[in-house]
Amino acid sequence: MPGEEEFPRFQFSFRGGKMQRRFPNKVLPYLLVSPSIVVVIIFLVIPTIQSLYMSFFRVSPFGDRLIFVKLYNFTKLFKSTDYVHSLLITLVFAAAVVALGITIGLLISVVLNQRLKGLNYYRTLFIWTYAISPAVAGTIWALMFDPSSGPIVYIIKTLFNVKLNWMMNGNLALVIVIIAASWKMLGYNIIFFLAGLQTIPEELLEAASIDGASSVRKFFKITLPLLSPTTFFLLIMNMLYAFFQVFGLIDIMTKGGPGNATEVLVYKLYRDGFINLDTGFASAQSVVLFVFVAILTALQFKYAERRVFYG
Amino acid sequence: MKKVLVFLFIVLLMTVALPKVTITLWHAMSGSRLPAVEAIVNGFNATHPDIEVVAQFTGSYAETLTKAIAAYRANDQPHIVQVYEVGLQTMLDSGAIVPVYELAGPDFDWGDVIGPILEYYSVNGKLYSMPFNSSTAILYYNKDIFKAAGLDPNKPPTTFSELYEYGRKIVESGAAPGGISFGWPAWVFEQMHAYHAQFYANNENGRKAKATEVYFNKDFGIDVMAEWMKWAQDKVLVYGGREYSANQAFLSSQVAMLIQSTSSVGSIESKANFNVGTTFLPRIEGYPRGNSVIGGATLWVMKGHTQKEYEAIWEFLQYVMKTEVTMQWHKSTGYFPATNSAVKALLDEGWFVEHPNHLTAFLQILSGTRVPEAQGVRLGNFVAIRDVVDSAIEEALQYTGTNYKKEAKRILDNAAKKANTILEEYTMIYGK
Amino acid sequence: MLVVIIFPVYYAFTMSTFNSKEAYSFPPRFLPSTHIWENYKTAWTTVNMGRLIFNSSFISVTVALAKIGLSIMAAFAFTYFGEFKGKFFFFTTILITHMLPLPIRIVPTYDLMRSFGWINTYYALTIPFFASATGTLLFRQLFLTVPPSLSDAARIDGAGPMRFLVNVLIPLSKTNIGALFLIEFTYMWNVYLWPMIITNSNNMRVVQIGIKMLLASEAQAADWNIIMAGTILAMLPPLLVLLIFQKTIMEGFSLKEEK
Repeated sequence: MPGEEEFPRFQFSFRGGKMQRRFPNKVLPYLLVSPSIVVVIIFLVIPTIQSLYMSFFRVSPFGDRLIFVKLYNFTKLFKSTDYVHSLLITLVFAAAVVALGITIGLLISVVLNQRLKGLNYYRTLFIWTYAISPAVAGTIWALMFDPSSGPIVYIIKTLFNVKLNWMMNGNLALVIVIIAASWKMLGYNIIFFLAGLQTIPEELLEAASIDGASSVRKFFKITLPLLSPTTFFLLIMNMLYAFFQVFGLIDIMTKGGPGNATEVLVYKLYRDGFINLDTGFASAQSVVLFVFVAILTALQFKYAERRVFYG
Repeated sequence: MKKVLVFLFIVLLMTVALPKVTITLWHAMSGSRLPAVEAIVNGFNATHPDIEVVAQFTGSYAETLTKAIAAYRANDQPHIVQVYEVGLQTMLDSGAIVPVYELAGPDFDWGDVIGPILEYYSVNGKLYSMPFNSSTAILYYNKDIFKAAGLDPNKPPTTFSELYEYGRKIVESGAAPGGISFGWPAWVFEQMHAYHAQFYANNENGRKAKATEVYFNKDFGIDVMAEWMKWAQDKVLVYGGREYSANQAFLSSQVAMLIQSTSSVGSIESKANFNVGTTFLPRIEGYPRGNSVIGGATLWVMKGHTQKEYEAIWEFLQYVMKTEVTMQWHKSTGYFPATNSAVKALLDEGWFVEHPNHLTAFLQILSGTRVPEAQGVRLGNFVAIRDVVDSAIEEALQYTGTNYKKEAKRILDNAAKKANTILEEYTMIYGK
Repeated sequence: MLVVIIFPVYYAFTMSTFNSKEAYSFPPRFLPSTHIWENYKTAWTTVNMGRLIFNSSFISVTVALAKIGLSIMAAFAFTYFGEFKGKFFFFTTILITHMLPLPIRIVPTYDLMRSFGWINTYYALTIPFFASATGTLLFRQLFLTVPPSLSDAARIDGAGPMRFLVNVLIPLSKTNIGALFLIEFTYMWNVYLWPMIITNSNNMRVVQIGIKMLLASEAQAADWNIIMAGTILAMLPPLLVLLIFQKTIMEGFSLKEEK
């Protein structure tokens, strides 16, 4: 959906147009924004409000009966061990995916950033996981860890004599899903880290070298701080990805199993809303997710506002 | 030239005068069952030039049901949809279907439909949906592995304890890494109840009145679950996932035995590179005899179509029940042929002699005792309850302690609580 | 490092070249075999891949172009027309799209499609995606770096704003347009949940759901070789687009960094 795919850092400034930038037309600006506004209001804003509304009802599977139940769905949510469990799983999952994706992505980007011969080709090879969908990544990793025919299962068995069967081990299932999800995000993270690294002024690094700073020191004292806008941005994007976009991956790999071990919030929402046909309950879950996103986005706005835009 | 024009004109007139009625059929038949469905559909279309049935694979049973409901709400519903037995109560309460007995002509031979199947799908003595693919669970085993482990390939296990013993022997001898796997865990759990004449829920499994309480956390359920947990820990049982994914473990010789629907007979026999044997489900000692339960799906007709279309639909449903058609369906898949005439024809042509694995499910059903506990379970929102039980079983199989019965009781009690809440909420909406 | 990243896909490709027996062999084989053609053919026909690719391509290109168009228009309005009434409101409205990912409003949006009669149509697969907070911000940012003298000159010359947009701004935005096209195309190609619930018939499905169907249709005995063939097919188009636009996107991001 709009806004999900990528969100560059932005300059949030309402300085307004300086005299020279202004065209005098009165009506034209409205015409220009109207398509976007219409789409947003009809397809995004109104349904969100409806979600909130629906969360106060119980709805029959075929949609023909509605019963007003006030806060029943919400109390049920928080009393439900399943939901709390799902919440925990999601947090663990998201934290792991973000941590892995960012640290490994950063590492790879730093290495790639050295000016070595043929690096351009190398660069492409790392970036392309960006083009893969979560579902495709899921399919590939499902094969990797397939208890009967997976190559990784075979390798581990040969090396350590341990049989990996994620269908019988919820923790393992969570691990492989984390691996698949972070793997897929690597390309994305690398693209942004590389771009960020390239904006670090050479002179700064050279000056530090002259002063006798080691590579490690340079990295932590100069590179990392200067990269912080990128890092922060990627943190938010990876979080959103781990919460929402991994749906395809989970659906293909584990469908939330075994025994709910990989049932992240978004999957539980789908299951309650579309398989168990408990619309009211699913809407309540939507509301909780919305609160979470609102907090994340507010954080992002606040941070970005600190950067002033000149011109 | 004139002759050509006249000819073309007549053809045009014919196509206009014979408007084809298009019937959409949504189904969940995957793997080698898919071409079998298409064969039926093509056969029908070829013999009924004024009707065209379009079959569409719409995913798993759960997904097919979900899509059908969604389509109905969007006024875009198919004509016929294949819904599994688990969706029966939902369909009955939906107000979205046309019962099959209303569509039937007076000369349809209901008596020819196989007894257990007719009973399973009837409500108050009437058929609301057309039986299409009925199955039950049987025990498959790999004869070659049995031989390699020093077991008699013609003496598969009969009881739980034998199964455990053989499984241990197989694993210890290195003949295979695992003893047994099964698909559709919740279904197998239900099968076990019926097989030992135990009720799964109150109100006679929800058939006398809507069920309000589940019984699977009683002693029987705990005993079965505890056994499975023991098997899992001792590496006899290797869990292979829900639905059909356990077949893979069996086919790649990772396990020696498999409890699975008889509808996999076709796929398994064609894909296996070993000798496949089949036999009845194992029994747990100390409990009475019941019968295994019919599973599979039926064809439901949805509301909101024209009279002409309903006539066409009935034509198709009758076609599906024709002796030759249901015979071929059985041969390609392993599902029960739906009529007694078909069974007789198969017998007469010696089919079962050459394909003994196709006969097993039949014999199992026919050799069981007809008890109310084995008639089949009807629960509101059974889809969600199945999910709860599947998750419970998956959780149980991950247990690493030794206090099986206690843990099984805890898990099953939890699951029962959730299931009862689901039932309660269902009656909240639909009344008793 | 490279091995870790590449190996899964290498193996996936290798698997797609096996026949059934090889696919089931244990221990697994690591070198490709020769059954490429029949596997890809089977995958292609089982889920009607041709149609799926067409659908995915159609909606990806349509949405990418529409998003670019609508974003440019909105960004232009926000940059070059001063503080017109309601500007803040409109700007914020477009921005909050970022806060409203699908799962938060999935059931009502689905119901909305139902009441429009858009279930199982291209409309439902494209129109709700047309607005873009990212795009709007991207272009606004870009436009703000364009020297005011240019628009000044245009105004003085009597050229209308639209003329300015088309003749000056858009050519200047080429890199960003390229970058955004890549992003949006890839995004739409890979979207999964929405097409899954909104399409019912085989001829409206998209490639991602084709993969799901392929997995489901092999349910009784997973033929990984066929599944991988289908998966590789699904991966190729966005990969292609990425390769084509790769240079553009790297430049596009450096542009954003301008201080």
